[in-house]
Order: sequence, then structure tokens, then C-alpha cells
Amino acid sequence: MEHTVEQTFHSIGTTTDWIVMVVYFIAIMLFGSYFGRYTKNTSDFFFGGRRFSWWLITMSIVATGVGSHSFVKYSAKGFQHGISSSMTYLNDWFFIAFFMFGWLPIIVYSKVRSIPEYFEKRFSPSARFLATILLLLYMIGYIGIGFLTLGKAVIPMLPQAFVIFGTTVPITLMGAIVVIAIITGIYITFGGQTAVIFTDLLQGFILLFAGLLLFFFGITYLGGFDIFWNLLPVEWKLPLADFNQPANFNFVGIFWQDAIAGSIGFLFMNQGLIMRFMACKSVNEGRKAAAVNILFVLPISAIVVGNAGWVGKAISIASPDVISTNTSPDQIFVVVANIIASPGMFGFIMAALTAALMSTVDTLINATAAIFINDVYRPVRKFLKKAIPTESEKERRELGAARYASIGVTVLGVLAVLAFKNFPTVYEAHGYFHSTLTPPLVVGIFLGVFWKKFTPAGVITTFVGGIALMILGARYPGILIAPFDHGIEMNQSHPYSYIRALYNIVVCLGVAILAVFTAPWQAKTVSVLQNKQNGKTAMNVLTGFVIFLIVLVTFNIASIDFQILAALGIIILVPFVVTYFVQYDEEKNTKGLIAGSIGEARRYFKDGEPNDEEGEKVFVHWKQIDGDTAVVRFSIENMAKMKAQPGDLVYLSDKRKWLGGLKSIHSVFGEPHDEPGVVYVTGEQIGHGLFVPGRILEAEKEM
Amino acid sequence: MDLFSHSWLPFIYLYGLGGFLFVFGIIITLKAGSFDLRRYSHKKWMWVLVFGFVWYLAMHFLMTLAALDMISVYAVPIILLLLAVVFIIVTVILRKK
Repeated sequence: MEHTVEQTFHSIGTTTDWIVMVVYFIAIMLFGSYFGRYTKNTSDFFFGGRRFSWWLITMSIVATGVGSHSFVKYSAKGFQHGISSSMTYLNDWFFIAFFMFGWLPIIVYSKVRSIPEYFEKRFSPSARFLATILLLLYMIGYIGIGFLTLGKAVIPMLPQAFVIFGTTVPITLMGAIVVIAIITGIYITFGGQTAVIFTDLLQGFILLFAGLLLFFFGITYLGGFDIFWNLLPVEWKLPLADFNQPANFNFVGIFWQDAIAGSIGFLFMNQGLIMRFMACKSVNEGRKAAAVNILFVLPISAIVVGNAGWVGKAISIASPDVISTNTSPDQIFVVVANIIASPGMFGFIMAALTAALMSTVDTLINATAAIFINDVYRPVRKFLKKAIPTESEKERRELGAARYASIGVTVLGVLAVLAFKNFPTVYEAHGYFHSTLTPPLVVGIFLGVFWKKFTPAGVITTFVGGIALMILGARYPGILIAPFDHGIEMNQSHPYSYIRALYNIVVCLGVAILAVFTAPWQAKTVSVLQNKQNGKTAMNVLTGFVIFLIVLVTFNIASIDFQILAALGIIILVPFVVTYFVQYDEEKNTKGLIAGSIGEARRYFKDGEPNDEEGEKVFVHWKQIDGDTAVVRFSIENMAKMKAQPGDLVYLSDKRKWLGGLKSIHSVFGEPHDEPGVVYVTGEQIGHGLFVPGRILEAEKEM
Repeated sequence: MDLFSHSWLPFIYLYGLGGFLFVFGIIITLKAGSFDLRRYSHKKWMWVLVFGFVWYLAMHFLMTLAALDMISVYAVPIILLLLAVVFIIVTVILRKK
């Protein structure tokens, strides 16, 4: 589609719509604040206490996934290209086995609190340091995309300017984003993960309802589904885009950018999503949440997020005077919603959209703050050897730091918008972002989990050498990315926004494999140097030379030939430097941290041999006793029914399923007693589990 | 108008390469032992995994046929609904075993 001059809108909507939006926001914030009271420590703040049922997490993921910029970006592409706009919602299944039986059990059983922490356990502190930088860039970039989308969604509803004390103040995109960021920051700072999960649960339902309602209104406006369907050209009806054209929306580019880099990135390295799965009561509940979400919720979501664009296209064909083909694609969602929904209803749809977008941003801010606390604050305090008097004082300080970190991350997220706001649409900005930032970490995580031989030298070379080649690819796309382009035409202003993902993955993977296969030579050379008197001096000189090469590539000093040679030098030399300086024991560093040692991970998680004998769930009354707060005690009869032994892990929750595990605890079976149907719990456990007097509890053995 | 590059070519690429990645994921996790078919609960997951792949393949296949006017667009949700019912029934049976 040719867009000569894009038509943009302002002041869409009525007073009724604004009233509905304000009421909706207040209601959502009160709802979130209510659940914020369940935040007692940093574990609750970030992980919600690892207690929730699969259905609750499934729905809360909807608001995170769907809310994240999706309405605006997929409607834009739906208007320009049709049903294929949201095709990438239907690609996550390809990686589900890797996730369910690789990454998910490892992150839960190894008790890591963040992805960089996994890198330290699996590789080394230096790998963690680099992973932290990359992950923070990824998360802050994601927050920036979220804010950009929020701004673009809200701008059409705002006037071009407002007058205050006789001065006309123009409303700009950045201005709107700053105001939105302040509201978002206030909410997340005082809520925490439990508040976010429950707010997202509510919003997940509202979002799906609002999106489907919009589709219904659109079909009704057009006169029925047959009319809508027949108005669309064949190309708009096809579920997948054209293989390699146009440059700004083609199947193969989007497959690599979104289906591969984006989906793996979202499932494996989006700390916000990972924390949702970690908030599940068990690994199996996490698997159920992932399966139901991908199998059934995502196809519905694909309709929900794209339909405004499809309806907009149909209206633009039937009535070009109502919707011009030149309408700004990023505004099409708001324009269509305003046309087909009545006043008030439009406000509701916009409130659902913006609130859901805020949920996404909230989740990401919370997750990024978690990374900051876990991977920056704690290591720095440890390094500075700062003593803290008590455990409760430590918790109080960390919770405070987490809240300040949330504010800092919000500010950085707003600044990140500057990097993306000049792309023609949010879709292209997001595509470029996925293609560029995810490959090194995705390769690092993947090989770390599934390849025992993958060493610190491998992962650090992937990060440093892979990124050096990625920088060169970005600088010389016509030479380096072109061989991977599948016939896609290179857009000069934004070259290979999507298919660069393939190049970036290939170079990172290639560097990783090369570093691992040359490991014996590295070890041999390093061992010779270690036995030489001036070995350390030689390695320090080599490290300095590697830094020089990195500077050469990063700052574009020298011709392309020299830069390529410099990148190759980095790839060859970094493994030697890492092998020399980093302590690594393959057996110790892979135990319980790779897919091949899940059994070890489970033993570590339980601190003993797992009991996999299948037992039944039991329903019990609780009785408060004074005693060991580390265990709960069941009767001999109940223990036999659950096939449990003292020392096994138990999950104890309020019997009411609809609570989704909100009132629950994890504990350990203590020595049995002889009072059937009763569990002995301490006051502290009752407080943590929020157990209500007289309410029956459901107990199940975990392992 | 030749729509092959807009219909079946991306379909073949998606399920060829995607299918390879999917099978590769299953094989790797099986070999690693984290996906263990000796455990009954994991056997149930194998059913879910295979169904999921067929479910998405059917979805894209039917939508492409409908777009090309080879079947009625209304057949898409009906067939998918039937598949979903089969999934629920089999899953419930496996759960009760």
C-alpha cells in the first residue's frame, strides 16, 4: 500500500469516554492496591510467593502478552496487510518442548531468581555480568516499546494542545509518555508481583472481551461476516504474509524476527514472563499454564489484537470517506474503535487497551527491578562487604531498594523511547528490537541448557564476538546480511529490520560452536602459559589487545576489511583469555543446571531424594500449634494417602479453587501425629498462607 | 494471480523448519532425560505436544484453504472446534487412567 501523506487524528472520543477511562483506571488501581497488601518480602514482591494455580497464571499472561503493544502494532499491520498481521501469535508451539522440559524446570529447581544468576551458576560471575547488561538492555528496550505504544494509543484521544494560565502548551508524544510513565511507576512501586498478577488476571479477561466485542461491533457495522469477508482482497485473507515482499512486512523476515528470535526471547529471556511461571505453585502447573495459553488463548488473542486493522481495511474499501487508506497505521485501532463503538463503549475499549499496556509495562518494570536487586544490588553489597544487622532489616532495605529501582527503570524506559520513535510503525521498531537484542542471550541460554560442553569461554565469546559481528552486520548490511536475505529487498533507511535476526542468530551460534570445538587447543595453550613465569603478563597483554580490537569494531575505526579481521581476532582470542582467567569445573557447573541433569536439580530443590510415588490429595482442617515453623504435621492416615514421608515437600492451600492459590504455603512434611483430618501449622505459617479460621485446606505432596 | 509465494510457500517453510525445530526439541529433551516417557505424566504431555503441532498445522492449512476460496470460511472454526473437543476428551480420559 502506498502512503503519500499519513492522516493523523486528535481529540477523538467524548467526555463520556474520558469519564469511563478515569473510572476504569481508578478501579484497576484499587484492585491492584488491595492485592499489594500480600507483599511481605522481596520474594512476594517479585515472585508472588510461588503459590498460584495454572489458570490464574494463564490469564495473567494474557494481559502481559496481548497488552504488550499488540493492539496498536498488529492492528496497524492488519490494516496494511490483513489477517497475516498477527500470524506470529501462532508460532510459539515449535519451542514448547525446550521450554517445558528444559528451561522451566531448571529455573525453578535451581532456585535462581533471575536469568543472569543462572549464568553465574552455570558459567561464571563474568558471564553473569555480561548477561546482566544484555538483559537490562533488552528489558529496558521492551519497556521503551511499551511506553511508545501507550503514547501512540493515547495521542489520538488528546487535543493538539491545551491552554494553561493563558499559555498554549502543545501535547507531544514524549510529553504524553512522561505522564503515563509517572502513573505506571506509582502503581508498580506500591504493588509488587502479587498485585500485578491479580490486576493482570482481571485485565486478561477484560482485554479478550473488549477485543472480541470490537470485532463484533465491526462486523455488525459492515453488515455481517459475509460482507466483511468478501470485502477483503485474497491477500488480506491469507494467514501468512507473502514470502519475501514487501521489505516492511514479509513472511520469512517476520518468521526469523518474531517467530524465532521474538518467541524464544519472550519464552526464555523475558524476565517478566519467567517470573509469572516462577509464581506457579509447581513446575507442572507452569507447563499447564504455558500449554493452555499457547494452544487456546493465543489464537483468540490473534483475533483480538488484529481485528481492528482488518475491519478498518474492509471499511476503507466499502466507505473510503469514512476511513481513508492514508490513515496512520499506528492510529487505526483508535480510529476504528471510535467509529464502530458508541460513546462510553469506546472509552471502555480504550481504557482496557491502555490499562493492559500499563500492565505489560508494570510487569517489565517489576522484572527489571528484580534483575537490578539480584544481579546488581546484592553482588555490589557483597563486594563492598556491607554488614546488615538482621535478616528482617535486610528484607526491609531490599524492598526499599526494589521500589527505588522500579522508579529508576521507569525513567530509563522513557528514555529508551527515543531509540524507537523514528520507526514508521511500532511493529517495525519492535521487529528491529527483537532482531538485534535477543540473539546473543537466546543462544547463550539455549546452549547453556542443552549442551554440557558449552563453557564460559563459549558463552563469553558468543556475547563479545557475536555482538562484534552483529555490529558489523548493522554497519554493512548490504555485504554481511544480504546473503541471508531470502530475496528481500533492502530498505535503505531501515535495512533488513527483520531478517537481520537470522544473520545475528547464525553468527552468535557459529561463534559459540567454534569456541567450544576449539576448547582443547585453548586448554592446551593456557596450560602452557600457566606454567611459564611470564604467562600472566602475556595474558594481560593479550587482554589489552582484545580490548583494542573491541574498541576498533565498536567505534568504527578502520576499513571494513580491518574491522572484519578485528572481529575474527576477538572470536579467536577471547576464549584463550576466558579459559586463562575463569575457574570452571564442568561437573560442578552443570550439575542440576542443564536439561541432562534435571534429576540433580530436583534433588537440590528438595534437599533430598524426590519421592515420585503418586499419592492422593487430602482435605484437612488446620490447628495452630507452637513448634518448628519449617514443617507442617499431618496424621499417619493422611500421610499414607498422600504416599508422603517426613522430609517430603508439601503444598497446602485453601480448598476454594477460585482463589487460585492466593491463600497457600509450601512446606515440608514433619513427623506424623494421630489426629486424622487435621494438619498442625504454626502461627507464622497461618499468617504467610493467609489461612482463614474454619476453612478447609487442600494438601498435596510435591515430591 | 499466482499466490503460491503468499500461501503455500510460507506454509511449507513454516511447518518444514518449524516442524524440524519442534521434533528436535522433543528429541533433545528425551535424550537429556528431562522429558521421560517412562513417567506416565510425561506420556500425557507427549500427547499434548503432538496435538498442539497438529492443531496449529490444521489451523493454518484450513485458513489458507478458506482464503483461497477452496472451502467455506465457516468450516474453519467448525473443524477446529471438533479438534478441540477431541483434545479435551482424550486428555480427560488420560487423566482418569
